[in-house]
Amino acid sequence: MPGISRSPAIAGIGITEMSHRVYGRSSSQFAADAIRLAAADAGLEIKDLDGLLINAGITQGVGLALSHELNMVDLRMLSEIQAYGSSAGAMIQYASMAIANGMADAVACVFGDAPLREGTSTGALYAGEGRKPSGFSALPLASGVRGAPVQYAMAARRHMDKYGTTSEHFGHVAVSSRAWAQMNPRAQMRDPLTLEDHQNSRMIAEPFHLFDCCLVSNGGVAVIVTSGDRASMLQQPPIYVRGWGQTHPGYLPDDSNQQGLVSGAALSGPAAMKMAGVSLSDINVAEIYDCFTFTTLISMEDYGFCEKGEGGEFVASGALAPGGSIPTNTGGGQLSSYYMWGMTPLSEAVIQARGQGGERQVGQHDVVLVSGNGGCLDHHSTLILSSHEN
Amino acid sequence: MAVLAIARDDVSAEFFDGTARGELLLRKCLKCGHINAPHIEACIRCASPELGWQAAGGTGRVQTFAVVHLRGDPPSRLVVAKVGLAEGPWIDAQIVDVDPDQVHIGDEVTLDFETPEGGEAVPVFRIADR
Ligand SMILES: [Zn+2]
Repeated sequence: MPGISRSPAIAGIGITEMSHRVYGRSSSQFAADAIRLAAADAGLEIKDLDGLLINAGITQGVGLALSHELNMVDLRMLSEIQAYGSSAGAMIQYASMAIANGMADAVACVFGDAPLREGTSTGALYAGEGRKPSGFSALPLASGVRGAPVQYAMAARRHMDKYGTTSEHFGHVAVSSRAWAQMNPRAQMRDPLTLEDHQNSRMIAEPFHLFDCCLVSNGGVAVIVTSGDRASMLQQPPIYVRGWGQTHPGYLPDDSNQQGLVSGAALSGPAAMKMAGVSLSDINVAEIYDCFTFTTLISMEDYGFCEKGEGGEFVASGALAPGGSIPTNTGGGQLSSYYMWGMTPLSEAVIQARGQGGERQVGQHDVVLVSGNGGCLDHHSTLILSSHEN
Repeated sequence: MAVLAIARDDVSAEFFDGTARGELLLRKCLKCGHINAPHIEACIRCASPELGWQAAGGTGRVQTFAVVHLRGDPPSRLVVAKVGLAEGPWIDAQIVDVDPDQVHIGDEVTLDFETPEGGEAVPVFRIADR
């Protein structure tokens, strides 16, 4: 119908303060703050929102009660969403479908978490120390598979063994992310980082060094999805949600298992690009979930930015870095800016698509790919965002 | 060493009865005979939920592994792996009594068990004689 567009578009984003050491605020307070910031960014009030999707992080500190905290009444959509690091992308997808179908008019999607506590190591928290493990799910824990670095290290080792990928290749991803972070005022890690620094950083779980692993942050991020028509009348340039996809590979415990060799991006990427009516060469900027350096490398391969197995050489070529052929994780990613699960790549994608990246703004930013990833490559989401409706 | 004490629950009780007597029990499909990993609830090949138990022969190969660095005094390292059993299923397990720098994908391993104090017996593997 000409003139009436219910194409979903992002109208606002809110990012709370999130230095390493923001203590004393709860996950829920961070989430509420993020929504207030996102509404203000869009030029909306809380009462204008009629949908709320919530993704709680590792501490599970945000729930449906967030709507009460914000005094939201008569919501037409309210749910918690949980697919780990792919949740942010998934929330945008569900919100977009609600917008397109008229179920809701303005949906806030929010993530909030506060895992950092004074005196507690985050490694211990993410490894689930202190909980009494039992049953089959405890067997890997008993054996020493405690925490994401160990799982991802095993996945990465397969890639290294099959394709000749090296720790130095992973290092190039870390160095590239840091170079971008140095231009991002919000980034937590802004000191220069060299390949040598990466190689000299302490081992966490071989093949991973410290600088292969992401940060952990306290904070919240919210995004408001509305219709393109409505977004056009608001404060910020609309960023259209043009295409999306999800893949949950369900790696089986037998010889069919491709964990570490092929990620969900191989399926969700093409699905999202097809829906958006774009091809790989149309993508100007890539914002990739980077819980580990390896996650960026395998995701870029599976999206098709390079041939399968050539991710190592590709990242070593400087392709992802400032001035590279496909600017990637332009805010510094989770490795160097802040760790808000899938909201890290999503928030930077919106900033870049709007052209609000300041010193780090990429020249061509019409079409931005956003990649979410959860579990150990177990859950994958892709978004294609654009400043143009078609 | 450094296998953590864990407890059984109702679903895993028979499995841990097995490890206590030195058996790694796998789930054999009563319908098609396929051998599945111990925690599997429905046969990977035919989807049947009717599964019995069969003890593993005790050999397999390292499919991938990580070397975990433990901070402590003194610091230590342990090797965790995905082991592909000769019967087909993969399980996560520790590789014990090995120089971490001498482990490779494809190495043949043999089954053993460790029983940490206050916990159930847990399968571990050793690198087979080369
Ligand atoms: Zn069967």
